Amino acid sequence: MAVIDGYAGKIAYVNLTKGSIEIQETPADLKKNYLGGRGFGTKIISDRMDPLVDPLSPDNILVIASSPLTGTGIPLGSRYMVSTKSPLNNTLMSANSGGTFGWKIKKAGFDAVVFEGRAEKPVYLYLNEGKAELRDATSYWGLDVHQTTDALIADLGDKKAKVACIGPAGEKQSLLACVMNDRDRAAGRSGAGAVLGSKNVKAVVATGELRIDEADKDGLNAVKERIRKKLDENGICQALTTYGTAVLVNIINENGILPTKNFQSAHFAGAEKVSGERLAETFLKKNSGCFACTVRCSRICEVDGIIGEGPEYEPMWGFGADLGIDDLKTVIQAAWECNKLGLDAVGTPTAIACAMEMREKGYITEGPQFGNPEGIVELVRQMGLREGFGAELTDGSYRFAERHGYPELSMSVKKQDLPAYDPRGLQGHGLSYATSVRGGDHVYGYMVSPEVLGAPEKLDPFVNDGKATWTRIFQDLTAAIDASGMCLFSSFALNADDYADLTAATTGISMDGAALLKIGERIWNLQKLFNIKVGYTKADDTLPARLLNDPIKEGGPKGRVWEREPLLSEYYTERGWDAEGVPTQEKLRELGLE
Amino acid sequence: MKITVKSFATLRDHMDAEFAIEIQESATIADLLTMLTERYPKLEGEIFLEDGTLKDFVNILLNGRNIAFIKGLDSILSEGDRIALFPPAGGG
Repeated sequence: MAVIDGYAGKIAYVNLTKGSIEIQETPADLKKNYLGGRGFGTKIISDRMDPLVDPLSPDNILVIASSPLTGTGIPLGSRYMVSTKSPLNNTLMSANSGGTFGWKIKKAGFDAVVFEGRAEKPVYLYLNEGKAELRDATSYWGLDVHQTTDALIADLGDKKAKVACIGPAGEKQSLLACVMNDRDRAAGRSGAGAVLGSKNVKAVVATGELRIDEADKDGLNAVKERIRKKLDENGICQALTTYGTAVLVNIINENGILPTKNFQSAHFAGAEKVSGERLAETFLKKNSGCFACTVRCSRICEVDGIIGEGPEYEPMWGFGADLGIDDLKTVIQAAWECNKLGLDAVGTPTAIACAMEMREKGYITEGPQFGNPEGIVELVRQMGLREGFGAELTDGSYRFAERHGYPELSMSVKKQDLPAYDPRGLQGHGLSYATSVRGGDHVYGYMVSPEVLGAPEKLDPFVNDGKATWTRIFQDLTAAIDASGMCLFSSFALNADDYADLTAATTGISMDGAALLKIGERIWNLQKLFNIKVGYTKADDTLPARLLNDPIKEGGPKGRVWEREPLLSEYYTERGWDAEGVPTQEKLRELGLE
Repeated sequence: MKITVKSFATLRDHMDAEFAIEIQESATIADLLTMLTERYPKLEGEIFLEDGTLKDFVNILLNGRNIAFIKGLDSILSEGDRIALFPPAGGG
């Protein structure tokens, strides 16, 4: 008899070179030690793959994994993760996305799909109630994300089917390519879409109505009620419903940490014009949400008679302040273009910002210019299609800047561009950037929460004391949340014990908050070990020179830079790593990773 | 003396988005909030709990610095200061 534990119970191992699929039971120890999602991806890749493979070769492995709390009706339980060796920066990356796809994989009978090899011609994977099949996708190759999604659903005649796919950017192996699902949802960063493109995989379609039962239904209902109340009463979650993530534009700008013109400044005079408040007054039609979400932070906007999903805070900042552009219409259209083509809506505008600074400094003589919205949407299109000047930028700011001899103008960590918070005014968040196991990133340890928003408590953003501990806890908790299937935004209201109670009631695996954090720590260390094997060292745990040396010029953080020491040394100690940032044998034994 | 006040997000449903205001020398943030809640009565319930303390996640910036790291509601205002008032809000 099948185990009743919130899992679908099966993993499909797809060998694209051979065209074969092997379906195996989801191992009990994988569930217990890694939960799902990011944990599954990290563990499966670590076990099965040489870290030194070329990420765009058939030897790379890509895992799409759902999670135990996904699709069980738990509020904000909707996430799945895409994990692979990043072609952008060689890290063992894992990117998160919501919508309905993660839920549907489980209804189709699978906890995860593991892709190896390379198909001879374009294929898509069809998952339906425990069966998995590779099908010809030649007719979909070349279509954008929206066209692909709509065509697959129409051709299958199955309106309940859910689609994850790549757009033209993935096909062209842009290192900024995402895996998209539900049309406008993105597993956005680190170039996972290019890996699927290199494997000739256009899409994964999931359909079916299999039951997923939880171990302790009554117990789970009680925990669900408790957390629903916490989420409903949380002021930040309430504001996400009203304004979406874009409410941050003004908040971050007023705090003097809104990166402007490729981080040359941290305050944008035009912020109000491209803010969440302005969006609500102008183009916003309504909000929407992922499966089972009670917050519903997504924005549905209308521009010139066209209705689309988004933008979120990151592209609002990226195409706004970071390009010095205060034309909201262009910002929205550029963000939509990213979704359509399957491009990272952070790395795309930041690559353009880097080019703008090089143009401003006279290092290049063509290309976009700060403050000028004209041609931006077209440039994004070119990036997605690897055409024209877009071809120069589509592998991200680092490669562009390095090719022209100015790598220091790439505002990136480990070749992945930094998102929308200037770390010179945020010591803890800067540490999170510098040490993130997938490079420049804000969703692997969102220290903005305590340092700016005041959740779970207010921490002085200029102070170093205690930040190593906070950062480690945030990183480990985030890794565990990414394994559980919950949306990261739930962490504004919930704590580790809440997630542990949800997980225990769903899976029957006994755990408390400390045990849940240990799972997160195990995942973090496993990603770290992979990165060490590909050659990353302490020297890479840092920020761009500008953020270490050039003080912020105005506002609250005026005069500040990010102080690498003592933060980094304290962080390594806090993690139980040696002075070079390598996990000690004792730490590995403690985590069962020796 | 004159200072500038800006409000954001849902607070704009209850008060002006940006304005200058005259206040006595050496006034505190608490004095300012008293003036503002008199001028905009609905503001009180948006930022204060019943016991008169600020709600969780309400943030007030004085010249870009959170008052929690100055002297809280006792932080003293000076001519030309810029105040930013935020209700609970965030994202990622």
